[in-house]
Amino acid sequence: MKKERSKKYRLIQALRILSQTVFFVIFFYLLLGTRFPGGDYIGRVEIFFHFDPLLALTTFIASRTIFVSFVFAALTVILTFTLGRVACGWVCPLGSIHQAFSFLFKRSKLLQPKRPKDNWTAWKYYILGFILVGTLFSLNLAGILDPFSLLYRSFVTGILPAANYGFSAFIGFLYTIHFFPMGDSLVQFQQNLAVNSVFLQGFFIGTLFIGIILLNLSRERFWCRYLCPLGAFLGLTSRWNVIKLKIDAKKCIECHLCNIHCETQANPFPVKGWKSSECVYCFTCSAICPTSAMEFPIKPKPEEIKKVDLSRRKLIFASLMGLLAVPFFRLSPSTKRASPKLIRPPGALPEEQFLQKCVKCSECMKVCPTNGLQPALTEAGPEGIWTPILVPEIGYCEYYCSLCSQVCPTGAIQELAIEEKTKVVIGLAWVDKNRCIPYDLGTPCIVCEEHCPTSPKAIKLVKTEVKLPDGTIQTPLAPVVDTDLCIGCGICENKCPVVDKPAIYVTSVGESRSERNQLLLDLIKEDSGPY
Amino acid sequence: MKRREFIKDLALGSLLFKFQPDLFAQGQKFPDLAWIKGESPAQITKEAISSLGGIQRFVSKGDVVIVKPNIGWDRTPKQAACTNPQVVKTLVELSLGAGAKEVKVIDNPCNPAQRTYARSGIAAAAKEAGGKVLFPNPHKLKKMSLNGKWLKEWEVYTDFVEADKIINVPIAKTHSLSRLTMGMKNWLGALGGNRNQLHQKLDQVMIDLAAFFKPCLTVMDGYRILIRNGPQGGRLSDVELFKTVVAGVDYVAVDAAGATFFDIQPQDLPYLQIAHQMGVGEINLEKLKIEKRTV
Repeated sequence: MKKERSKKYRLIQALRILSQTVFFVIFFYLLLGTRFPGGDYIGRVEIFFHFDPLLALTTFIASRTIFVSFVFAALTVILTFTLGRVACGWVCPLGSIHQAFSFLFKRSKLLQPKRPKDNWTAWKYYILGFILVGTLFSLNLAGILDPFSLLYRSFVTGILPAANYGFSAFIGFLYTIHFFPMGDSLVQFQQNLAVNSVFLQGFFIGTLFIGIILLNLSRERFWCRYLCPLGAFLGLTSRWNVIKLKIDAKKCIECHLCNIHCETQANPFPVKGWKSSECVYCFTCSAICPTSAMEFPIKPKPEEIKKVDLSRRKLIFASLMGLLAVPFFRLSPSTKRASPKLIRPPGALPEEQFLQKCVKCSECMKVCPTNGLQPALTEAGPEGIWTPILVPEIGYCEYYCSLCSQVCPTGAIQELAIEEKTKVVIGLAWVDKNRCIPYDLGTPCIVCEEHCPTSPKAIKLVKTEVKLPDGTIQTPLAPVVDTDLCIGCGICENKCPVVDKPAIYVTSVGESRSERNQLLLDLIKEDSGPY
Repeated sequence: MKRREFIKDLALGSLLFKFQPDLFAQGQKFPDLAWIKGESPAQITKEAISSLGGIQRFVSKGDVVIVKPNIGWDRTPKQAACTNPQVVKTLVELSLGAGAKEVKVIDNPCNPAQRTYARSGIAAAAKEAGGKVLFPNPHKLKKMSLNGKWLKEWEVYTDFVEADKIINVPIAKTHSLSRLTMGMKNWLGALGGNRNQLHQKLDQVMIDLAAFFKPCLTVMDGYRILIRNGPQGGRLSDVELFKTVVAGVDYVAVDAAGATFFDIQPQDLPYLQIAHQMGVGEINLEKLKIEKRTV
């Protein structure tokens, strides 16, 4: 028996790695390019998401509206329908990361692949069922586990900030060893990249991501084979594809190498055991086959295909869990009273619709020029975890900027022109007179007024009598908020010189998107507008 | 040359110097302030500098020069919240023309630097002229002894201390605390740290900072001035097309001149009054030699 690996499939494997690299580079380039572009409008840096049929489907079902950009997702479906899950094996950047780490773990002997015996591949289908049942009741949890959302969110809030921190430390080191010119140019480079590096849950989300990477220590591409709901969705659509594995029984020496090293447990051996829905066409099996016994010929005629054993019982159970999740994820006080800290980015839809559409991808948090948009933890209830909120203590909403609304891939934040954006109210500012420097100390301070971006300013300075501890009376200029003009951008809170807890702060009341979360009724407002 | 001739020349020379004392004291020839009006921001800037004796008077060959505009806000030139980019560009061009080794343009803004540098038009204009437009470098922040009357120490970007010459290029705007923000207020942009806390004693801070940074030249952009809602403005109706540049060595005098743009007497601005009393500069415009021209 001639022992020789197939040159053809080794070449195809190399091409696959090239393709993965190219797509990862594109992804990373778009990720870093998701920042202030130098002008008012940014290109379609979020395009990756529009090729994702899972997000397309869940936002469509959950919100009952069609978002035109998702038309690209049809291409992915057609591709999978005809060629199988090549998108998983050749394109998906998260899949590439998993594959790269699996390879590294395997090379370093941290992972020693065994012949798989389990049927855990079914999990992802149950997860998909769980998510889809939720969407029927407008609960959109797809973003938590969708691979693009997961990857993007983890990079934006965890990985990039950590890398940025390391980069700063490296530059600091360059300065300590007196490499000044190099340090100078790297600082400018870093500033040009403008990576937002402060995230409330950066540690949490970043650690979760590293945990998901470490799962590859247990099985190769653990995430892709067991957990990925998009993989499951594509698995379901790939049954009729035309590229089918064929083993030449004469050449096969039954060494099981293909099974052991199959990235996604597609079970290439024995001959009729191959599961088309699990194969991501990485061509590892055909490339490592010592006798070149494996081929992937094109066979337009469908044949009987081995499927993943989905237990009907478990599928029903997962669906029931999805049903149960609906009320459970909505156990939140926000139904009683609007959350004051739930300040949504300008252009965000009314809360109910917003939650149906937001896929927690963090595009808006990446592009925000002030780092003010942060992933929510409890502010929006369990349903709204990792959705964007403005935290003015960290960053404010830049007046002439509508970038977050432009990059939102699902329209949860409606795209706004700059002129429209400046009119959107996202909250109102309140002076804490107990802490404000003029009100409390009689000392001048106009910082909030100075920074107020509206014209005329929403913060007025009014002479105010202040009693000092010695009984004397001072009359400093003190800030008073004009709620008719305030748009809630939060720059006042952000710049307030009361360093620990700002003496002026923004809450969500008055936000344009809400009918209920209003301070004054419209009837009264009409009479009193001085401008 | 014989010894006798040398002594004769020396005697003749000293005699001449006795009766013509200003022969070598060239400074006297130049006005204290150049006050130029005109249609083109670049043109009036050039005229102002040449009235003061040309850029060679301030910048020498091989100097590292910092041009410090106000790039504080995410606003376009027409909104007059940041220094006019053409004025900045002209100063970069002139300095490089005088043989400066490098001209840096730096400001620590209030809005994100990436936005203000781009939208003010200053980054593009200064780069076009060959200037090095730099984002403030956090690794170069150093707590420094300022030895001011009130402000003893603060974090300063060391670029400003290391430069050979500093040219201050503010824009004239209204401000609710100091009433106007012009040259001396512009130094807050060379600081790091929690500079918003400095507003508690802003007038004295401005004086202390200006004395520390000692610009060799102050060129005040009054091409467009912000007459209300300063220091950011927003509406075009907050802006007045004033088409003026005032330049001078005495930075107090330049701010005093700027006050008159807004029909405010320099004496009515507390910080100018204090600076004058401290002997830092002149605020009485009548005592100054002003070259006022329209080009």
